[in-house]
Amino acid sequence: MNQSSVTLITGASSGVGRQIAVNLSQSRRLILHGRDPARLIETRTLCRRPEEHLLWELDLRQGDRIEASLRQLIESNGLAVEGLVHCAGALDIKPLRLVEHDSAHEIMEVNFMSALEILRLLVRRTINGKHLRGVVFISSTASQFGARGFSVYCASKGALDAFMRAAAVELAPEVRINSVLPGATRTAMTAAMLSDDAVRTRMAADYPLGLGEPDDIACAVEFLLSDKARWITGQQFVVDGGRTVNITA
Amino acid sequence: MSTAADPAFVNPLCLHSRRILVTGAASGIGRAACELLSRLQARILAVDIDSEGLESVQQGLPGEGHARSCFDLQDVERIPAWMADLALAGGRFFGIVHAAGLPCVQPVRLLAPAAYRKVLLVNTEAALALTRGFRKTAVGDSGGGSIVFISSVMALVGASGAAAYSLSKAALQGLARSLAVELAPERIRVNCIAPGFVQTPMFERMAAHWEPAELTRVVQNHPLGLGAPADVAHSIAFLLADTGRWITGSVLTVDGGYTAQ
Repeated sequence: MNQSSVTLITGASSGVGRQIAVNLSQSRRLILHGRDPARLIETRTLCRRPEEHLLWELDLRQGDRIEASLRQLIESNGLAVEGLVHCAGALDIKPLRLVEHDSAHEIMEVNFMSALEILRLLVRRTINGKHLRGVVFISSTASQFGARGFSVYCASKGALDAFMRAAAVELAPEVRINSVLPGATRTAMTAAMLSDDAVRTRMAADYPLGLGEPDDIACAVEFLLSDKARWITGQQFVVDGGRTVNITA
Repeated sequence: MSTAADPAFVNPLCLHSRRILVTGAASGIGRAACELLSRLQARILAVDIDSEGLESVQQGLPGEGHARSCFDLQDVERIPAWMADLALAGGRFFGIVHAAGLPCVQPVRLLAPAAYRKVLLVNTEAALALTRGFRKTAVGDSGGGSIVFISSVMALVGASGAAAYSLSKAALQGLARSLAVELAPERIRVNCIAPGFVQTPMFERMAAHWEPAELTRVVQNHPLGLGAPADVAHSIAFLLADTGRWITGSVLTVDGGYTAQ
């Protein structure tokens, strides 16, 4: 493998992003992106050959800083980014009447605009040549269905998936782009929510196969990035234990 | 840093000793599935109505424990009992791949009930009968299993002359969703793959009737070009193996971007 060839994972400091990093590190050199340097280093320690992977610390809410920062990272390390996994995501559950413009804007920045910004830069020849091959966005079943308090989150994931399809058509056949739409998995983020007995009971009834593990999502990401998925592009792949087809709950 | 050469590497798609029933096994996607799944160490029960094709497929499969059964899936009433016999003879099944499908290109004005019922029988009703058979005592593995129906992008889009085919393939997706919910407590997962136009013998026969311009248009409608049967087989393996353990009721569209535009 060419040592300059890397796969960038945003939101790699915890949960699903961290698991994706661990799985992909078995066969790829990575750029691990996150906000919190200590947790990013923790992710790197869990990876195979930790010393090989690069860290990229940036708050994606600051969209206007992505270009300079990513360009610098690629140039100073002589990188060729062949893969991108956009896993960074923000969630703020709030009734619509209490939503504020600034916080809605921040969620759109992290969940959607930053994916657009990073992908746009990675297909610029002056920045990344023609090296990009595979892209996976971590969307959500919220891009397909509504839920109380989720209006901004649903909108951000819907935008992400619509962008995914358009970019897939435009960038084929050189670059393949797909989304994985996970249901709720057991992570530090959901741990607090799941410590509530009532919530746990309801979730168990909602998910025909029970709650998922981050590895369930990471397996799908790994598959879509690999050559085994060489004829898959522009698709939403639902990985949710049957949650969205279940109306009997 | 090749993982396959690493002795510690475990192939997550491995289907070691798991028995998989594959319909439509003599050609196209079914055949490619048999070939890939056997390389992943599954034991294949290859099913088709074409006995010669079936024999040549089985003989080419690596590994041991494969078998074949020449059977007409139009005989849906007999499917569960036939499966029980197969399980008795060769062991329980871990999974089913329903790749058998009849094509049907007929304008509605010529589409007689006898013609479209046959398509529905093989493409759709057989899928339900196979699932019913799988659930019978001592047919499916006691720990659960994984079922994959090969649907089509024609379940999502329309084309003139495709009414019966679209009907049969869209129904498969509805079927899979309800089966997914009903069978989840038994740890049986049910999913669909919706392929675009794949270069199979069925496709070649259909395309032989097209004008060159029509073929060009179909190819151009796939941003990644036409698919190969192996492209679909990899997705089948992913859904069957433990990599798909939290996936049920899903449709994985494998179409080179056909439905993205």
